[in-house]
Amino acid sequence: MLRTARSSATAGRLDPPYGTRTILVVLLAALLLWYTGQRVEIGRMLALTGDGILAAVGIKEDSQVSSGLGKVVGSLFPLQISERTEVTRIEGFDASRLPWFAHIEIAEHREQRLNPQTLSMEETIERKEYLVEPLGYLGHVAVKMFETLEIALWGTIIAVVLSIPLAYFGAKNYSPNRLTYFLSRSTVSLFRAVPELVSALFLVLAYGFGPIAGILALGIHAAGFLGKFYAEDIENADDKPQEALRAIGANKVKVIWYAVLPQVFPQYIAYTLYILDRNVRMATVVGLVGAGGIGQELKGRYDIYNYSHVGTILVVIFLTVFVLDQISARLRSRYV
Amino acid sequence: MLTFENIGKQFPDGTVALEGVNLHVPKGQFCVVLGPSGAGKSTLLRTVNGLVEPTNGAIAVGGVPVTRKTLPAIRPRIGMIHQQFNLVLRASVGVNVLAGALPAVSNWRALLMLFPKHLREKACGLVDEVGLQAEHLHRRASDLSGGQQQRVGIARAFILDPSVVLADEPVASLDPKISRDILALLKAESRERNATVLCSLHQIDLARHFADRIVALRNGRVAFDGLPDDFDEGVASDIYGDSISGSLIKATPRQRAVA
Ligand SMILES: Nc1ncnc2c1ncn2[C@@H]1O[C@H](COP(=O)(O)OP(=O)(O)OP(=O)(O)O)[C@@H](O)[C@H]1O
Ligand SMILES: [Mg+2]
Repeated sequence: MLRTARSSATAGRLDPPYGTRTILVVLLAALLLWYTGQRVEIGRMLALTGDGILAAVGIKEDSQVSSGLGKVVGSLFPLQISERTEVTRIEGFDASRLPWFAHIEIAEHREQRLNPQTLSMEETIERKEYLVEPLGYLGHVAVKMFETLEIALWGTIIAVVLSIPLAYFGAKNYSPNRLTYFLSRSTVSLFRAVPELVSALFLVLAYGFGPIAGILALGIHAAGFLGKFYAEDIENADDKPQEALRAIGANKVKVIWYAVLPQVFPQYIAYTLYILDRNVRMATVVGLVGAGGIGQELKGRYDIYNYSHVGTILVVIFLTVFVLDQISARLRSRYV
Repeated sequence: MLTFENIGKQFPDGTVALEGVNLHVPKGQFCVVLGPSGAGKSTLLRTVNGLVEPTNGAIAVGGVPVTRKTLPAIRPRIGMIHQQFNLVLRASVGVNVLAGALPAVSNWRALLMLFPKHLREKACGLVDEVGLQAEHLHRRASDLSGGQQQRVGIARAFILDPSVVLADEPVASLDPKISRDILALLKAESRERNATVLCSLHQIDLARHFADRIVALRNGRVAFDGLPDDFDEGVASDIYGDSISGSLIKATPRQRAVA
């Protein structure tokens, strides 16, 4: 008895780094997960996915998931690259001055019609001329994709502009008083709480279909993010140089400009690049509710069952995001 | 030039940092404030430009009482030199020196970084005066050694030709040789402009060498006020406590930690 007590006192003890309380908490968390898992049908998800994998490797005959995916992929391909427009629908069409690489296709349309005089069916031949641009639709999608990038860029610019006053008034050590601090911080939280897609939905009602709604939706949400992080960086900046300038009577604006900004600038660039990156992806999504760009085109084609057009759009989005990711990774490693 | 009248300071947490301090520092004097850690040296210096507001008493700079109302006019006439140099590390030496002239520049000029020509020329001249080369102007302050950074700090403090300079342990994080050079520079620059200097130090030998007058604080009260020659070992051990002799005070553990 005495010996064990002494040895434990001198040699110390190495109990496991968790106790009964930790075990209880883990059990409770597991119980909660099990309950929510039931509600969102995790079990069915696993079963269906398993079936799909088995079908893919040929062990099972068919599966709901793999046939569904197959149908989707089948309808997206072949991609729609060209554009075919009826000539009579083109205003001021001039057959001698076709767009590049374009040609005219003539389609004959046979139709049985009732002749009102003879009261017999007659065959009429209707000729229609079509203008075919081999890369026409791809070009159209590229233009829309570019519009999406513009929406993302301007959304980011709006966010930066909005977040500068929000950061100033939301930084405890620079906000003129508690009220401005509180107002700024709550505005920032509100902006962050509203997802882009939801605000775009309402902004489309206010500003009509098109890029304005998208730009504002992205700008407001990102301003919430940037306002918070800019403000926290101002608060955490080293006070020593700020005190040196305060001591000689420089006002707040000068102190921020000369003693805070140089400290936080690299971090601000990093945040802003992240927002730009995120906005490119979100700009395609807000298009789905009519806020301009490629998303709007995607939604329009999807609604009229033009799945091969949708396929082209998806491929273009994927390639753009991929290329931009490479570029921004390179920029980041060089400047941040 | 500087008048402290019955200055007292009690911090909100109850710490009494200064009590009944009466001082008059005439124009052009190089006055060194000594005292053990926590004696109230920094607090005393910071009351002059309002970084600390005294709870008791009155301070006057050049006859003007220091109040919230007069501070905006007083601060630009008081240069300050800091123990940690307090430079903007990511900014260039040139911008750091010019930042000392910010109170004399309009807001829009400050935002566009368009300093008037005479200030830019003065900054270049000062960089040369404090012993840095022209090539240092465009270097980042973080690339300089401690001694060089304090030279930039001195150039920044003198760009507006202040009538008072506060130096709070300007050499506490520098080695002894460089400490002497920096203090000699500070003294030369202030002599040239006939500026009044209030400089706190930890090293008694440096204080005796450079000071026109030594004021020693202990527990927030003035424990010695007189000529450097009168500040002998006996006085020193009274102020710093019996266990510490003058030679030991040259390098207290705190200073080494900072260096
Ligand atoms: N902001 C503050 N809040 C509360 N107490 C403070 C504050 N600043 C200083 N003090 C206290 O006031 C006293 C005097 O501090 P001060 O910094 O003036 O001493 P010092 O002589 O400069 O010391 P050192 O040589 O260590 O710099 C100390 O007891 C310190 O703890
Ligand atoms: Mg101090």
